[in-house]
Amino acid sequence: MRLFLLIFFTISSFAALSQQKSTISGYLTDSKSGEALIGAKVYIPSLKVGAETNTYGFYSLTVEKGTYTIEFRFTGLETLTKEFDLNQDVSFNYEMGTTEKQLEEITVSAKKGENINSTKIGQIELDVEKIKTLPAFMGEVDIIKTIQLLPGVSSVSEGGQGFYVRGGGPDQNLVLLDEGVVYNAAHLFGFFSVFNADAVKSVNLIKGGMPANYGGRMASVLEVNMNEGNNKKFKVKGGLGVISSRITVEGPLKKDKGSFIISGRRTYIDVIMKAAIPDSSPFAGSGYYFYDLNLKLNYRLGPKDRIFLSGYYGKDQFNFGSKEDDFKVEMPWGNGIAALRWNHQFSNKLFMNVITTFSDYQFSFGSAQDEFQIKLKSGVRDLTAKVDFSYYPSTRHKVKWGAETIHHTFNPSSVSAQSQDVVFDTGTPEMLYSFESALYAMDEFDVTEKLKINAGLRYSMFQHVGPFTRYVKGDISTPDTSITYSNGDIVKFYDGLEPRFSGRWLINENNSIKFGYSYNYQYVHLTSLSAVSLPTDIWYPSTDKAKPQQGWQGTVGYFRNFFKNKYEGSVEVYYKGMKNLIEFKEGALPGDNLNDNTDNLLVFGKGWAYGIEFFFKKSVGKLTGWVGYTWAKTERKFPDLNNGNVFPAKYDRRHDLTVVAGYKLNDRWTFGASFIYATGNTLTLPSSWYVQEQNLLFNYGARNSTRMAPYHRLDLSATLYDKAYKTKTDEITGETIQVKKKFRSNWSFSCYNVYNRANPFFLYVDNDGDFLNGDFKISVKQVTLFPIIPSVTWNFEF
Amino acid sequence: MKNILPLILILLLFSCSKEVKIDIPGYEEQLCIDGSIETGMPPIVLLSKSQDIYSPTNLDAFLNSFISGATVTVSNGSSSVVLDEICTDNLPAGTEALAAQLFGIPVTELANYHLCAYTTLNTSVWGEVGKTYYLTVSYDGRTYTSSTQIVQPTNLVNSFWKPDAGLTDWGYSWATLADPANQYDGYKWEVKRINIGIDGNPRDAFFTKTYNPFFDDNFFDGLTFEFFYENPMSWNDPAIPAEGKGYFQLGDSVVIKLSKVDQNVFEFYEKKYAQLLNGGNPFATPTNIPTNISGGALGVWAGFSPSYDTLYCVP
Repeated sequence: MRLFLLIFFTISSFAALSQQKSTISGYLTDSKSGEALIGAKVYIPSLKVGAETNTYGFYSLTVEKGTYTIEFRFTGLETLTKEFDLNQDVSFNYEMGTTEKQLEEITVSAKKGENINSTKIGQIELDVEKIKTLPAFMGEVDIIKTIQLLPGVSSVSEGGQGFYVRGGGPDQNLVLLDEGVVYNAAHLFGFFSVFNADAVKSVNLIKGGMPANYGGRMASVLEVNMNEGNNKKFKVKGGLGVISSRITVEGPLKKDKGSFIISGRRTYIDVIMKAAIPDSSPFAGSGYYFYDLNLKLNYRLGPKDRIFLSGYYGKDQFNFGSKEDDFKVEMPWGNGIAALRWNHQFSNKLFMNVITTFSDYQFSFGSAQDEFQIKLKSGVRDLTAKVDFSYYPSTRHKVKWGAETIHHTFNPSSVSAQSQDVVFDTGTPEMLYSFESALYAMDEFDVTEKLKINAGLRYSMFQHVGPFTRYVKGDISTPDTSITYSNGDIVKFYDGLEPRFSGRWLINENNSIKFGYSYNYQYVHLTSLSAVSLPTDIWYPSTDKAKPQQGWQGTVGYFRNFFKNKYEGSVEVYYKGMKNLIEFKEGALPGDNLNDNTDNLLVFGKGWAYGIEFFFKKSVGKLTGWVGYTWAKTERKFPDLNNGNVFPAKYDRRHDLTVVAGYKLNDRWTFGASFIYATGNTLTLPSSWYVQEQNLLFNYGARNSTRMAPYHRLDLSATLYDKAYKTKTDEITGETIQVKKKFRSNWSFSCYNVYNRANPFFLYVDNDGDFLNGDFKISVKQVTLFPIIPSVTWNFEF
Repeated sequence: MKNILPLILILLLFSCSKEVKIDIPGYEEQLCIDGSIETGMPPIVLLSKSQDIYSPTNLDAFLNSFISGATVTVSNGSSSVVLDEICTDNLPAGTEALAAQLFGIPVTELANYHLCAYTTLNTSVWGEVGKTYYLTVSYDGRTYTSSTQIVQPTNLVNSFWKPDAGLTDWGYSWATLADPANQYDGYKWEVKRINIGIDGNPRDAFFTKTYNPFFDDNFFDGLTFEFFYENPMSWNDPAIPAEGKGYFQLGDSVVIKLSKVDQNVFEFYEKKYAQLLNGGNPFATPTNIPTNISGGALGVWAGFSPSYDTLYCVP
């Protein structure tokens, strides 16, 4: 309540101050498609002040009364320069378009100085169109793989899902698709991400200095926004690839009022396998596929109201069967996300966004052999309600506040098993219910011309509620006991304040220093038994036993632009501390739910990470791209693991170098290249062997004490576009004219792992032979997943 | 962890592997104790040392890992006996076959090595149902201790054989188990065929464990149910054709030895078999096998409480 009073008085004081001022506000959209423009700049050169459009294309700029020349800028679109009489409030919506002017110049003007001026630290926005020209694994453009090329972000390995930001775990990334939480952003064990690039409009990664409007995760926010659909005309685009194809249809629901987009993808490895494996084969019926579907509708209810409905559904299905052994496995998993949003503009300074989302991730595994069947399920389901307010009182302040609440339903693992008619008692499925809520307020304000601050406070709380049974495990002398909580009982309550702060000190127009601090609570955890991330990893909430993860991060950076902003450079250092991290106990084998809770198998500890990141980017000209280098260290200390000694996290990487380049040769040919070099991952291997009952057994060394060989890889791509114009004879004049083609296509060639590096996926200790025959041998083997893989995709649009 | 086997299969479809030499720090030499006692039998203890992962792996290195010169004591609370060291190059007559089985080397090779086991003919510390047995090993200035119980045995309700689907002469060994309710029960399943083979001897001289022979009543406490096990001898038996691998043959006579173990012993074997079955699996958590021995040794001191059932393989 105090927080809201504070916000109220703050707003009132702003309102009083702003009586001698006028406001220009409105929406900026793309003239071709009607899509809202995110991050477009509205700038008054004479005052050197400006504003930026939000996710919905809305902007608001309040200045002293007067007449001003105002610039409207967006990358790739022509800048509008227009004079406005701001002696009264003005509402101005504008559709920005392209001309035949060189895009390069426009790009320069739109992005001018942003790297230096904004308070954003540890934030990177990716251009989806640029991503599409980079090399793609098997021709499938992948956003997650692209962000892994940024400094401070890494993948565990090929075949590992998720990504790791500044020494945090894969569960510490808040991945949002149109504000709906994505619990598993990977298809096919991480080889493809769930984001279909054709349906994606913008990608924003926050890896440090997280603003107060985000919470619930400690390491980063990956915000992915879907296209809204063209509200001018119907369009179809798609691609045919070696192992997958996709198609997108978009168009107006009512011209300039509303639009839709629907986009689908499917792999056909299963179809290829079906053709390759005859029905008589013992493995007939084995295969794998995934598909996903994106849908979005939006409609303008009036000049001040707009609604959006977004949906995503994706499923991976893996089947394996061996007729010979009468053995069958079915393993489906997938996400379903729906988000309904309502924007309302209360005034030219106050913008509201109300969001309800549904997010569901389910994994299931069924196996049958002869008369024995086992089924395992796990999943998480969220229902979220959220309201955000943006208030633009003056050019010096941009205020945001809001509240959210999430109802979580977790099913960490439920097992059922039967043999013939006998059903084994595997206990009742462990279902966990909780509410996670937060209030926040933040203000981005110019303290002086040089100093800009974004300060915020988030108050979060978490209730673990019944029904729930807590099993308290005894030992030999004390029997197991249990405590039962009924529906609605509060099992445990946690809360905490999360201060957030970031700032920019402008040295001059080409140099600035930025700094950030954030404190985060994280109430959900991902527990993994394996050395790599898999769909079998279990999401688990905070409980009376598993406390919320807490972490803080401090970061400082120096930002510099060169040659009239054609080149951008930055150096950032960070340190983060984490506590209440979770891992499975050594030797834990979670299997059933009988008289036990999964968190009885967990242990808790702390961690820390620090590093320095160098980033150098060229975003204009024929040659564009970036070079990123990270030196980092991340360690863990758990009293119950590794004898209480410090050990490196499994994704601890000392060096990480990425080079990404794109070259536009002419209107028809574009080339791309990416190179990555990273220190090998850590893992735990046996350091000794011993014999018991003639079996060779292994004894493992210190946790994560072995390091794999470094990972490095070069990928190349080339895209050949068709000619944009066709020659036609004008029926009236008889002249030969150039007409823009409606049907456009391109061939995209990609080559993954060009020099065929055998990168380590994992290592294992193998033993072969027999002591008695004298051919017994223990060796360490390295498994490599992908050799050189060329691919080709044909993309089209009409 | 078996449930992620298919994941590995699909990943391995894409993959290839090669041998690498990589630094694995952390080796320290430890004593391994492999001791057991079962109803009506003397305690038997083998001692060996753990070896560095990159140490030589020829037969000599393996056999040299066994040690002698330790003092091993077994007590049942009332009697305490120091076990005798009996070595392969000086075996009492009639114990050769047992020694060969214990060390896993042919009888003809025994005299060439100095491999020692610790046991006793003093029947006061031979296994009895309901008693707890305490082990003390002193070696190289260090002392290691453990205890294990020979729990009450559980008899099978019955055992039977039936041909597997589509076959007439081959089938698994089936049994009905009535698990005692409200108590911890851990089991080990071993079998041997006693029908006479073509050489005029019973087909199997010793009991053999199945592929994954240990199970406990976590899922079925107090339930009565039928289950089956494979024929573990069939894989290496040249007399059994491909279609019969894994099965017992119509006409076989099989002795089933169902032993009960205490919970600590079960945990050792559960993790041991998890490691054997998951060997090298990157998706399994690296599991050091827990031991019921204190003092820093590896291995187990295990009490077994067997019951026997004879199965005649006829429909």
